[in-house]
Amino acid sequence: MVAKVSDWLNERLGWRAVWTAVFARQAPKVNWFYTLGSATLFVAISQIVTGILLTIYYVPTPDHAYDSVVYITAQVPFGWLIRGIHHWGASAMIVLCVLHLLRTFLYGAYKFPREMTWLTGVVLLLIVIGFGFTGYLLPWDQKAYFATTIGTEIANVVPIVGPYLLRIARGGQDISALTLARFFGVHIWVLPAALGLFIAVHIYLVIRNGISAPPQKDE
Amino acid sequence: MESEEPTKQELSRRNFLSVVIAAIGSAITAILGIPAVAYLVGPALQAQTEEWTELGSVKKVETGTPTLFSITLQHQTGWVTSQEEVSAYVLTEDGQNYVALSNICSHLGCRVRWIPDQNQFICPCHNGIFNKDGTVVSGPPPRPMDRFPTKLDDKGNLFIKRG
Repeated sequence: MVAKVSDWLNERLGWRAVWTAVFARQAPKVNWFYTLGSATLFVAISQIVTGILLTIYYVPTPDHAYDSVVYITAQVPFGWLIRGIHHWGASAMIVLCVLHLLRTFLYGAYKFPREMTWLTGVVLLLIVIGFGFTGYLLPWDQKAYFATTIGTEIANVVPIVGPYLLRIARGGQDISALTLARFFGVHIWVLPAALGLFIAVHIYLVIRNGISAPPQKDE
Repeated sequence: MESEEPTKQELSRRNFLSVVIAAIGSAITAILGIPAVAYLVGPALQAQTEEWTELGSVKKVETGTPTLFSITLQHQTGWVTSQEEVSAYVLTEDGQNYVALSNICSHLGCRVRWIPDQNQFICPCHNGIFNKDGTVVSGPPPRPMDRFPTKLDDKGNLFIKRG
């Protein structure tokens, strides 16, 4: 019965070919450092799931943001767990991305024909840093407020356009309700859309071009 | 025959790893999924607190006349504190037993008012009229005014249970 349904679906969807291409593709003999990309993807999925869950209770306005975060942490069943996973997962994302990137760099795996895999990976690192920067403000506590004060002030030192960049980042001269709302919007809509797109391209390229073997001594 | 041995071994290794991956994947999904469900439904399923609400001293209630008690209750919804006005008409015929009638019309939820001259409750929205014990005299209300369970403490304070 299951086999019949599976065959019926495969005739129409061709998903077995996709499965083979994704999970049963040819791979050189590699080591554990090659799991860093999958680990990053796993944590990214965990961040997406816990992030969606957090939006169920979180409210991005100055009079509710902090209280709603405290409510999630202290009152909602397992809220401390969901928020904790999202909090620590954010740090894990940066660490894993950088380790994955270092592995690729040190093994010279960015070379032809994988330059675009490398470049989309670098964009993904920037997106992840953007997630960290915008997400840091959302609890709306003292640390968040002053971290964002400093972070946006850095944009101010850019010659000529600096003051404009600062105003665009903050949604005005000061950190306000507008800053919180736009950081939230970027954090849950703009960056996830960009992340999804670039992960799709990145993984397509990994599958299309395959992965490189670790460099050998005699090479 | 010998040449089939490695293939067989490779297959069983592959199957073993598939099972292990599926098991670990299921465990992670359960560890994340069960708290996620509790997280989503938890606040919605929290038991409604059914506590006695103090209306005040019954001293001001005159025998045979419904007397309005209004109190303001603080509600905690999530992280937001809101206020709710609770009103009840308290009636006693013997100074011993007290009846607390909700001032919310049983028709469509307007507030009913005691009109002393007519000795009746009147709902201004659709002319619902009730007797002083809450029974319907005329108009659209489908049932009598709702009654709260009441209790008196030894200092003469009246409590109602809302629900």
